Amino acid sequence: MINEEALGWVIQTRDPEFSDWDGFTAWLEADPAHASAYDALMLADSELDSFVPSEPVIMPIAANDPGVPSRRPLRWIGGGAVAAALVAAVSLGVANRSDIYSVTTRPGEIRVIALDDGTKVELNGDTSMRFDRKDARFAALDAGEAAFTVRHDAANPFRVTVGDAVFEDAGTVFNIVRTKAATRIGVSEGKVIYNPQAEAIALPAGRALADDAQGLRVMDIAPAAVASWRQGQLVYSNAPVAQVGEDAARSLGLTVRFTPGAQAMRFTGTIRLDRDPARFFAQAAPLMGLSAVRQGDAWLLKEGNGPQN
Amino acid sequence: MATGLSAIFMANRPALLRFLRARGARDDAEDLLQDMWMKLEAKDLGPVSDPLPYLYRMANNLMLDRYRSTTRRERREQDWAEGAGGVMADPSEDIAVDDRMVLNEQLNEARTVLRDLGPRVELVFRRFRIEGVGQRVIADELGLSLTTVEKDLQKAYRAMLSLKQKLDTE
Repeated sequence: MINEEALGWVIQTRDPEFSDWDGFTAWLEADPAHASAYDALMLADSELDSFVPSEPVIMPIAANDPGVPSRRPLRWIGGGAVAAALVAAVSLGVANRSDIYSVTTRPGEIRVIALDDGTKVELNGDTSMRFDRKDARFAALDAGEAAFTVRHDAANPFRVTVGDAVFEDAGTVFNIVRTKAATRIGVSEGKVIYNPQAEAIALPAGRALADDAQGLRVMDIAPAAVASWRQGQLVYSNAPVAQVGEDAARSLGLTVRFTPGAQAMRFTGTIRLDRDPARFFAQAAPLMGLSAVRQGDAWLLKEGNGPQN
Repeated sequence: MATGLSAIFMANRPALLRFLRARGARDDAEDLLQDMWMKLEAKDLGPVSDPLPYLYRMANNLMLDRYRSTTRRERREQDWAEGAGGVMADPSEDIAVDDRMVLNEQLNEARTVLRDLGPRVELVFRRFRIEGVGQRVIADELGLSLTTVEKDLQKAYRAMLSLKQKLDTE
């Protein structure tokens, strides 16, 4: 049995802002057993460290039959995803997890979700998202890429949570990519607010934001380049080739690797997506000044234009 | 030692002594207070924004350390008596493979317990317990009342501590 009062004091004294030491002293003095109960719980608390997962873990969600949005209770989704869901769920007072369902696409698969409010979400391949049946203004992008065409409602803005970040529309078409290492958003129409409660960075059409190992940055983007994958194109301006590789992997359902030398290169231009990997790389690799070699299911990109390399 | 902190220590010496006694230090309370004084003098502390809570926290931590080392010693002696082996594993040593599997199991169980509490409770608990964010800040961040945050934390703690008890007795 856990001593409820002692647990209350464990929580209070662990709070960095705790200041009621007089009240705590009075409680301790009321009964000598209080101190031992508190000590025992504090020790148990410190031992939680060994098995509380310190990093929110996103567990892989199995790809589902194409065409059928999978509806799963939220408990199938890992901690990070749950945390991400929350910001939006709480702000509306809706935390009933059974209303949340997830939609995933396999690599190479594109799926369009029409929400009740008239908003359209286009999921690129290898993407997992969550929506709320009761709240059409909520979406969470857990991994992958999606383009949003939002019906704007100033009184009830559409919000997308991506990890710890929140993007709030202000009448918009925008695209978000989430990989393990980075979150990128590009806005092609209207305006998006990044983390309205914190940084509150406004991103008008033609602006993009990236949050990766180099930190948070805002840059320009050609509106036509936003979510160009919907038109079967990948458009870049001075992007690391690794990003091109990730995008191609998502759209074509394959693994792309780079040699260390190739990895360091950057690319500006447009690449046409082609369902056939061999044709795709025959076209794309020379554009990046690289050559592509097939390795089983993966493709290795290395420096040099020569196909025989 | 910052003179401000020293003055506050002296001014609140009786209250701190009373706290240590209530905390279970009994006859050692005076000695512990002396330890605190020495520690304060040895450390060149910069200005402390909230000196009195800082001193109380320091006293509380001294008591926690004391309790921890006593408990560990008792556990060691008990293990020895039960023939579980007198050599305690050095926690810094590599963990054996099956121990690691057990740990992974436990992590998975903890994850499940946290998840089953619901997303709001899980997020509140993570912010508080893992990231060390205060309840008032969490309440502001999530637009919740302080009472709700408190209740969520109690709920999460109860679940996690029960899980810990269960794992300890397995």
